[in-house]
Amino acid sequence: MLSALDKTLLKTVADLESLPQGAYNIRKNGKLLHREVSANINIETNADGTGIVVIIKPGTKNESVHIPVILSQAGLYDVVHNSFIIGENSDVTIIAGCGIHCGSSEAEGHAGIHDFHVGKKAKVTYVEKHFAMGEGKGKRTLNPTTKVFLEEGATAEMELTQISGVDEANRLNEAELGPDSFLFITERVLTEGNQSALSTNNVILQGSGSRANMISRSVIKGNSKQIFHASMDARNKCFGHIECDAIIMDNGTNETIPALKALHPDAELTHEASIGKIANDQLTKLMSLGLTYDQAVNRIIQGFLK
Amino acid sequence: MLELKKLYFTAQNSNDENGTLRNIIDGMDFHFERGKFYAITGPNGSGKTTLAKLIMGIHPVTSGSIIFQGKDIASLSITERAKLGIAYSFQQPARFKGITFRDLLSIATGTDEEKVFLDIVSRVGICPLSFLDKEIDSTLSGGEIKKIELATTIAANPTLAIYDEPDTGIDLWTIRPMVNLLKKELTPDKTTIVVSHNKSFLDAADVIIILSHGKIAYTGNLNDALPLLNDLSICTYHQKIEGIENAECFR
Repeated sequence: MLSALDKTLLKTVADLESLPQGAYNIRKNGKLLHREVSANINIETNADGTGIVVIIKPGTKNESVHIPVILSQAGLYDVVHNSFIIGENSDVTIIAGCGIHCGSSEAEGHAGIHDFHVGKKAKVTYVEKHFAMGEGKGKRTLNPTTKVFLEEGATAEMELTQISGVDEANRLNEAELGPDSFLFITERVLTEGNQSALSTNNVILQGSGSRANMISRSVIKGNSKQIFHASMDARNKCFGHIECDAIIMDNGTNETIPALKALHPDAELTHEASIGKIANDQLTKLMSLGLTYDQAVNRIIQGFLK
Repeated sequence: MLELKKLYFTAQNSNDENGTLRNIIDGMDFHFERGKFYAITGPNGSGKTTLAKLIMGIHPVTSGSIIFQGKDIASLSITERAKLGIAYSFQQPARFKGITFRDLLSIATGTDEEKVFLDIVSRVGICPLSFLDKEIDSTLSGGEIKKIELATTIAANPTLAIYDEPDTGIDLWTIRPMVNLLKKELTPDKTTIVVSHNKSFLDAADVIIILSHGKIAYTGNLNDALPLLNDLSICTYHQKIEGIENAECFR
């Protein structure tokens, strides 16, 4: 059964009001809570018992898998290794996420290590949300890793979000792109108080005609700190773009380090980066439509992280 | 409707290291009436945009008063003035990441009703429906963002609407519909102020106000204003390339 607290965490990280339709795997405090498989999507515990393997049959269309993780056990640091094997020509959505409720002074954390093998001409949309709450003072840590391998003509759209309440995050995203494949990563991270987040992104454009677009949006409130590394290694005729924007509020700090490496004469790589406070003209415009200063700030941040 | 009384706005000369002060708006008195369309014109650096921003509260008044519907609003915030029914169309509209035309309309009207948005889009006429879900970001052309800016101002349904150079970046064949739109939006209980150099807006205005060096050099109809407009454009040519206000005009 799902407790009221479980439901709150699930609602926040996976938009789930109750148990989802289709295939799902809900992990609570390091153990399996619920699992359901479907005709086209199989979920099994991996060989060494450290996580799950999700296998999507070739040609599976318009199906989704929910794999949320919830944590509410003091002192637990849950590490999980999940693999996703996405069959050729399929088109699926995977909704992951981790919600931590910290009720004591002991630390709680989760490291979700996810690797994706996306088959020829398959498309996967991966949505991952991280969130922590609770009255406890224990440190909440989330260290997600994603590794993506795209075969010829495959597409992966990844939406990676850290909403709030996470004290320390060390995020790693790696991808290797085959011929004519496409990777689109959007990462949104909000930190506040004394939180810190490090995000490292390494994309290897291996195949001819591969394309990658990485968008990062950071909001740094209070005394929090974010460091963002993104590198694109172009090893073939390909196109890569990095766009990283950070809004600093209060006394936050940000380091943004994009790196473009063209190792092939036909590589095309671009990047744009900006760090700064909310632009005055944006605030003035929204206030001239009747919002107060604080409402305007909130509206701009909400849109920026949308 | 709106009365300016001994209005001053003083700023430091931008290219003067000794920090000497200059009256950008230099003791202005004027009464804007209901139901009238005003065009403010004058050479670059004469104080047009500054005056418009003082009325909206974007720049703080140095001294003097701004009486709107019987109340001195000179010390009110932008938000408070917006709530009293003043709206402002920026010459260089702000660009956002993640905010759409629909979002701005929702803020301006205080509703999320699709029907209200459709009504506004059809009333404004110059923005196609496809604009609704466009982000107000750097991918919009100069003309597109100006049309959206105008539409959000109209959506706020203001008693006093201020448009700062609404025709910047607008294609020639949209200017006439834009002038007609602003005329149509002006009902007897409202006032419209347009800052412009464009003859189409000057033609449409009930009253032309010519500013020069932060003062009102002329008010009246367009015909009588033409000789003065010609003079000012020649005499102040050199002023166009200096000073904080000029930089603002060119931005």
